[in-house]
Amino acid sequence: MSSSFLSRENTIAGPGFNRFLVPPAALAVHLCIGQAYAFSTFNLPLTRLIGLTESAPGDWNLKDVGWIFSIAIVFLGLSSAVFGRWVERVGPRKSMFVSALCFGGGFLVSAVGIQLHALWLLYLGYGVLGGCGLGIAYISPVSTLIKWFPDRPGMATGMAIMGFGGGALIAAPLSVLLMKHFATATSKGVLETFVTMGVIYFMFMMIGVVTVRVPAPGWRPSGWVPSEHPKALVTTANVSAAVAWRTPQFWLLWMVLCMNVTAGIGVLGQASPMIQEMFPGRVTAITAASFVGLMSLFNMLGRFFWASTSDFIGRRNTYMVYFVLGILMYSLVPYFGHIGSTALFVGAFCIIISMYGGGFSTIPAYLRDIFGTFQVGAIHGALLTAWSAAGVFGPVLVNYIRAYQIDHGVPKAQAYSITMYIMCALLLVGLICNIAMRAVNPKFHHQGAVSDAAPAGSKQS
Amino acid sequence: MKTRLGIMWLVVGIPLLWGAWNTLQNALKLFQ
Repeated sequence: MSSSFLSRENTIAGPGFNRFLVPPAALAVHLCIGQAYAFSTFNLPLTRLIGLTESAPGDWNLKDVGWIFSIAIVFLGLSSAVFGRWVERVGPRKSMFVSALCFGGGFLVSAVGIQLHALWLLYLGYGVLGGCGLGIAYISPVSTLIKWFPDRPGMATGMAIMGFGGGALIAAPLSVLLMKHFATATSKGVLETFVTMGVIYFMFMMIGVVTVRVPAPGWRPSGWVPSEHPKALVTTANVSAAVAWRTPQFWLLWMVLCMNVTAGIGVLGQASPMIQEMFPGRVTAITAASFVGLMSLFNMLGRFFWASTSDFIGRRNTYMVYFVLGILMYSLVPYFGHIGSTALFVGAFCIIISMYGGGFSTIPAYLRDIFGTFQVGAIHGALLTAWSAAGVFGPVLVNYIRAYQIDHGVPKAQAYSITMYIMCALLLVGLICNIAMRAVNPKFHHQGAVSDAAPAGSKQS
Repeated sequence: MKTRLGIMWLVVGIPLLWGAWNTLQNALKLFQ
């Protein structure tokens, strides 16, 4: 593929380009990388590559296999922070292409690792290479979407980031189907599934690469005029990525995202054992898996619903809803467990997880409101380190508190109550940070020319 | 352009709906 095809200059949309082609291009990429949430479907098969029906001597153990996903999430955060400015400079097409190579290539390197039975190759393949693909792909379309939809930035980024939540819904049954298809009397079919998924995901991401366009400098949607009286927290100025992290607003938003994600990710990882232990004898492992699936669905829907809602009620107000409603729901969960209402328990968690997803999809538009569109993709990349921190902090918090209580004689059904109240406290910290949010001091504003702020635009619809 | 737009939304929409439908079918077991 020629480098000129991938360059930013050759990605500028011509007259008549329909901007609604950009969200499905972004979705094509995010639906693929959302596979990461379903990686656990490979955990058990990877521990039975030799023994087939059960782990045999020489097979990898679950704890070591679990590191593959953890490494991928760490590299997601690191690569989005490190490559954020590069993504802004080269544009969405080249960065999406590189992410497709990394993500698809990660599967292929891992397949070699399975063939050679070398776990370090899976760490390197899916973990490091795939993780970099995840990070670059996650931020690639964000600033482009914000520039195409200045009138509805929340809805636009919500659509793309919804794909990251939805990717697991596709990947989980797809992985199971492929492993079943490739399984033989002597193989679990994992190697062939990795190769197939690597190729499928690369090709699907290429649909996004070919379709994506950036708007011409100065382009605006037809008939849309920016408000002459912007809201208090919506800036018309710009802050560069190099300066943004020195502002208190960046760190307040970092905390807002970190607290919202910590509260959600902690219970997301423990959803299956939690519902079984809170409703002993009534919820089996199979119905618990249904609960996990339902949470994934609400994780996806929340990303679109809440980000779109934020276009109407404002970004800060949307996070107010996440935190206040989150505190209410978390504080009610022990009561729902106490009265034995599975429906209320499931309902509360569906709302909580929808707001967890919403937190991810609303943050790009919040960043655009505070720092402008200039380098919002790079700033978003840097902010995603909050996700990496929460990814470690959340599950550790939930697991250790639960283990501590059980070790001190608390019945399993009640062991989650204190965890829920700690989640409330985390959300309270997030709420305070959100309330403290103010417009950026003008001394931080970018004074030079901004590449996208140019003369009157073309006539894309 | 409208045909291309329709095709693009179908390409991403069909797998997404397939995944959501699978999940919903499994989720119904919770309330049975």
